[in-house]
Amino acid sequence: MSYGKKDEDADTGLVKIDRTQVFQEARLFNTSPIQPRRCRILLTKIGLLLYTGEKFPSTEATTLFFGISKLFQNKDASLRQMVHLIIKELASSADDIIMVTSTIMKDTGGSTDAIYRPNAIRALCRIIDATTVQSIERVLKTAIVDKNPTVSSAALVSSYHLLPIAREVVKRWQSETQEAAASTKSSGGFSLGFSSSSANLPVNNSTMTQYHAIGLLYQMRMHDRMALVKMVQQFGAAGAMKNPAAIVMLVRLAAQLAEEDAQLRRPMMQLLDGWLRHKSEMVNFEAAKAICDMRDVTDAEVSQAVHVLQLFLTSPRAVTKFAALRILHNIASFKPHVVNVCNPDIELLISNSNRSIATFAITTLLKTGNEASVDRLMKQISGFMSEITDEFKITIVEAIRTLCLKFPSKQAGMLQFLSTVLRDEGGYEFKRAVVESLFDLIKFVPDSKEEALAHLCEFIEDCEFTKLGVRILHLLGVEGPKTSQPTKYIRYIYNRVVLENATVRAAAVTALAKFGVGQKDPELKRSVDVLLTRCLDDVDDEVRDRAALNLSLMHDEDELATRFVKNDSMFSLPYFEHQLVMYVTSDDKSVFDEAFDISKIPIVTREQADAEDRTKKLTATTPSLKPPKTGPTKAAPSAADAAASATATAQKYAQELLSIPELKEFGAVLKSSPVVGLTEAETEYVVSVVKHIFKEHIVLQYEVKNTLPDTVLENVSVVATPSDEEELQELFIIQAEKLATDEPGKIYVAFQKVNGEGSLPISTFSNVLKFTSKEIDPTTGEPEESGYDDEYEVSEFDLAGADYVVPAFASNFAHIWEQVGAQGEEAEETLQLSGMKSIEDATEQLTKALSLQPLEGTDVPVNQTTHTLKLLGKTVGGGRVVANVRMAYSSKTGVTTKITVRSEEEGVAALVIGSVA
Amino acid sequence: MAGLFKRVYDWLLRTFWATEMDVTMIGLQNAGKTSLLRVLSGGEFAIDSIPTVGFNMKRLQRGHVTLKCWDLGGQPRFRPMWERYCRNVNAIVFIVDIADVDALPMAREELHSLMNQPSLDGIPLLVLGNKSDLVNKLTVDELIDAMDLKNIAHREVSCYGISAKEETNLEAVLQWLMKFANR
Repeated sequence: MSYGKKDEDADTGLVKIDRTQVFQEARLFNTSPIQPRRCRILLTKIGLLLYTGEKFPSTEATTLFFGISKLFQNKDASLRQMVHLIIKELASSADDIIMVTSTIMKDTGGSTDAIYRPNAIRALCRIIDATTVQSIERVLKTAIVDKNPTVSSAALVSSYHLLPIAREVVKRWQSETQEAAASTKSSGGFSLGFSSSSANLPVNNSTMTQYHAIGLLYQMRMHDRMALVKMVQQFGAAGAMKNPAAIVMLVRLAAQLAEEDAQLRRPMMQLLDGWLRHKSEMVNFEAAKAICDMRDVTDAEVSQAVHVLQLFLTSPRAVTKFAALRILHNIASFKPHVVNVCNPDIELLISNSNRSIATFAITTLLKTGNEASVDRLMKQISGFMSEITDEFKITIVEAIRTLCLKFPSKQAGMLQFLSTVLRDEGGYEFKRAVVESLFDLIKFVPDSKEEALAHLCEFIEDCEFTKLGVRILHLLGVEGPKTSQPTKYIRYIYNRVVLENATVRAAAVTALAKFGVGQKDPELKRSVDVLLTRCLDDVDDEVRDRAALNLSLMHDEDELATRFVKNDSMFSLPYFEHQLVMYVTSDDKSVFDEAFDISKIPIVTREQADAEDRTKKLTATTPSLKPPKTGPTKAAPSAADAAASATATAQKYAQELLSIPELKEFGAVLKSSPVVGLTEAETEYVVSVVKHIFKEHIVLQYEVKNTLPDTVLENVSVVATPSDEEELQELFIIQAEKLATDEPGKIYVAFQKVNGEGSLPISTFSNVLKFTSKEIDPTTGEPEESGYDDEYEVSEFDLAGADYVVPAFASNFAHIWEQVGAQGEEAEETLQLSGMKSIEDATEQLTKALSLQPLEGTDVPVNQTTHTLKLLGKTVGGGRVVANVRMAYSSKTGVTTKITVRSEEEGVAALVIGSVA
Repeated sequence: MAGLFKRVYDWLLRTFWATEMDVTMIGLQNAGKTSLLRVLSGGEFAIDSIPTVGFNMKRLQRGHVTLKCWDLGGQPRFRPMWERYCRNVNAIVFIVDIADVDALPMAREELHSLMNQPSLDGIPLLVLGNKSDLVNKLTVDELIDAMDLKNIAHREVSCYGISAKEETNLEAVLQWLMKFANR
């Protein structure tokens, strides 16, 4: 504590210190005899410079270093400490630092009570190089088990730093480290004030040594899981560790072990559970966090942790409340019902004077709340919106946006709320958040469209932010013409043309034009014409140009004009951006000979883009005030997560496939399936497959990893045999030339659809891995000349209907359902899913299995016993596929579902159902 | 009683007329620098000592004079740093293993290149032929020739044969060093 205080004083209390001046003064070091006091002050100045971020250039640092080395072995113990400290800091910038090794070594071994001994040890590990580590082995070993915690800690931390440069040597100190970790030493006993000379070590009762020892032990045993397990169990036992920080370390380690090995999960969970009741808060929090971050954690497992956190919510200390709330907030993102029990406590915190706590309380409540409580919460929030800063407002608005998408039926209340806050005072970032939330409402919650548009219109009447004005005008242009009363918006837009700056005027003109082009109503068209003609007199070039262009588009009305103005498809933006970056940053000069070819960029319809956008926004449930992740990060894997990363993976695949000349002629990939594992993760060869659907071909991409040490697989291929060879004909196999240990390789097997592009063959593939196995000669590291051919059979997988459909988004399910039903065919199936434990589980699994997009917020079941899931997708050929899944849950039979699928294309409905049946 | 007086006298000398002088000890590796320093400071001779990494520093008390002896590592990677530690010292001691004839040319080269540094002009040099207790050793005259000491100018140069192990001739070394104490 006192340290922090001194630092603050340093800025104001000391005279200003200049690097060059200090460097000049450093001649003091060379005077004889040495003046310890003055030297110490000078060293302190150097230390201050170094710690405040000043850098000495290498030559200056070296000169300083040689000067300081003259001070060695002075009788003044404090000077010695100072010298060690500064040498340690200079070690990285000065040359020839190795010179002082011998001298410092003397100080480390010297008289055992010397105060400078820990300093010497810490300095030593900074200056030593790998070759000399051995010579200090004995010194460090004794220091590690020293009875004084300060010395012991210094030695342990030094070993920690030495580990990367001399792993083998440091690893030999395991037993000493173990001893240091186990000992609950206190040096309080021996010095009863008799030897209180300043050169002796002060008494130190800290148990920090244990923390350092555990840290070092972990580094040493990092690759040996059994040893780690033993370590956690040995030191995790009650009373074995006194230091809370050390236990926190063990908690993290236990969580990591449970994550890596399913078998360890149960014993580690037990340990974590025990730590929830530890007497140190720090440990409780870490254990609770670890449990909540655990993969596939069950409600029962979490509830204990939640209970502990709940108790902390009433703690008088703000930091405790905050920590507890932060963890609860995290759980609430994926298990809202578990956190429900804390709601009364959390609600009390909404009015907490600490706004960080209040904000987290609100956002947690918004997540845990059911539809019923949302309205009440909204009221409460509106109460204190005016009191908090923009930053917190944004967090809350973002939480509400997510909520809107989750409970579309509650849109009225939220719209009300958003429009009120939109009128409040606030900076650009805040307004942007509100406007974007409204945009999302318009896009994804059709019922709210007209009202939200009206609010936005009102907002631009008095909007000081050009950027927002332009965006809103654009949206009005897109959505306005589709509403029942387009004329209403024209007035707002034209007002902008009259009142705003050139940028906004230009945007307004374009928006106006969208009402005019392709307009059936002659009256409306005429008014737009009049308004645009007026814009031709604008003072700004851009505005005039746009007006003229749009007028001419309006006059000679044709297909092209309509398509230009009301473009419903766009480039796949993430891919487009990636391609452009690749083009611009290319090292190969010849690339620039040709202009960038935009036609290679896949075009997606607005609907598709919206669908992706929505999944992304739903998953972004965490507010922008994100708690920094300290522990090992692992997101709770959910369907939504997978969907969010799907775009990225699809692009990655597309690129990989394009780079293979043989596959280039197949055209663009229409759909890539998720990765299907064909082996257990622990087998000799780990194989997984991705199915790529092309127009007339199907490519199976196998990823093979050889986990056998010291062997190389050569000419690896996969013999994939479809069960139905009449529909699929094998074209070629691209082998993996060579697979070294733990280096994954890819094998491609291409099939042609015999019945042409329209057909959707389904089949089961049996797979056999064929390769030549060669051992690596341990002496040369090269594989031996001859190997033997081997085969390895892996599991079968299915090419099913779901592989031919991609999720798509639309706002009105009922409409599409009727539309598709009228033209296409229907298939129905009733299934008993006894394996599913809940409706939520079934919803998630079915969405994934059918590979369709849930609509109208049906991916979040409201009722625990019955639920209707509405799904939409498109086949690779473009035909729509709609599914209506009705589910009922009972604890005896599990989930019973009735799936009805309608499709525009023939045979697809049955195929899609087939992929779940 | 006399002892007490002597102690008091020494103490007075130390307190009021204390002088400190710096002496740098250099030479090829395994010449016996660290051993010599240990013996000079009253320690036991040790046969197996580890190579010095960097340098060692020891203080010797002789009456009212404190000798600060810098014992520098003799391995090739430390030799470029000798010059730095020889600047402004009262005397340089160069130690040669006179039983290791093969190393002599190298020692001569290192010594001459060091003595040609302008920064070290005028600093007295003492060349010590260590290990005179061994059988196949050079005499002092042979050493002077081998090291080509006659060609070292601008400074006082002396050459002694000593043995750190048997402690022969060490007093002469100290006497020689003390001469330069008050400069």
